[in-house]
Amino acid sequence: MPDSTQEVHALEPSEFLEEVHSFEFWFQSVEGYLSGRPYGHHEMEEPEIDEAQRDRLITTLCNYCVGELAALEGASGLILFAPNREAKIFLATQVVDEARHLEVLYHRLQAIGVSDPEGEIERRAAHPLKLFKRRLLELVASKDWEAALFAQNVILEAMEFAAFQTHARRTDPVTREVLEGIIKDERRHMGFGENEIGRCLARAPHVRSRLGEVKKELDYLVLETFSESVADLGIERSEQTDLGRLYLAAVERLGFTND
Amino acid sequence: MTDPLLEQAEKAAPRQRFILEDTGFDEVPVKYRRFYRRWGGPPDPLAPNEVVCPVCKVVIRSTRELRPGDRVYCMPCMSRLIVIEGEGGRLEATVSY
Repeated sequence: MPDSTQEVHALEPSEFLEEVHSFEFWFQSVEGYLSGRPYGHHEMEEPEIDEAQRDRLITTLCNYCVGELAALEGASGLILFAPNREAKIFLATQVVDEARHLEVLYHRLQAIGVSDPEGEIERRAAHPLKLFKRRLLELVASKDWEAALFAQNVILEAMEFAAFQTHARRTDPVTREVLEGIIKDERRHMGFGENEIGRCLARAPHVRSRLGEVKKELDYLVLETFSESVADLGIERSEQTDLGRLYLAAVERLGFTND
Repeated sequence: MTDPLLEQAEKAAPRQRFILEDTGFDEVPVKYRRFYRRWGGPPDPLAPNEVVCPVCKVVIRSTRELRPGDRVYCMPCMSRLIVIEGEGGRLEATVSY
């Protein structure tokens, strides 16, 4: 274990990776921002929201539940064929995070008066998002590590990160705190995906064309999901570009063009 | 890993040292918290020992002044980064996979 008095940036890269992928690192990290916040938020009075706002929030939370369920099932499937111990342990922590996200979002739906969240999710969730989930789970089932991880931890996580950040700035205080807790987890998931894929592309550049195909196929579903969700997220249509840009930045850093 | 030219420059101008204090950043274990802080967006100025992580937008801090070529780690998103000189001489970080 690294010396805590040491400059963290002086760690050897292998020591750094061993540390941040560990269960212990995860445990101490989440303890800092989740303890004392049952279901993702401090105890506070339920804010008053009008019926139209509530309706939009329900639809948004239903979409989030689909994304989180996809991530939960995807991350747990990835453990089986992850290439090394560190990746398996990291993914196990991600599975717990995704399960927590699903639970707190489900709880939030109940708190704003949805008596049958399952039924509501089925009725309201965006069709392109459901298609995305299906395709992601197909990639996981095919045990294609690079493609499945790219779809899950780069594309899906970047989409969620962009949506949650944008939404957290405009929503009620309880939902905001729930989302802020989720965003803190998403930083790890997104970073793990980008760095794993980046290292993989450096080792095996031929993988790039296969991932390019995955991106082309899934980008469309992501952007369609955004397009269907902007009004529910409470953002102006003109701001949709910013949402898309936030999402596309991660794939651009990996060298994928966005045409 | 520092190239000889940077080493020379360092001898000429020693780096400033910084004492890091906990800024309330709660996303990493307590022992690492002082190395990170939240970023308030472009109006939030960066000190000479700070760069923004391009992946997760957290400010990464060091106990010494940063210079191009330095390696820094972003623990919140688990990225290894290299400091570069960006537009207008401002320090930026780029991901090193």
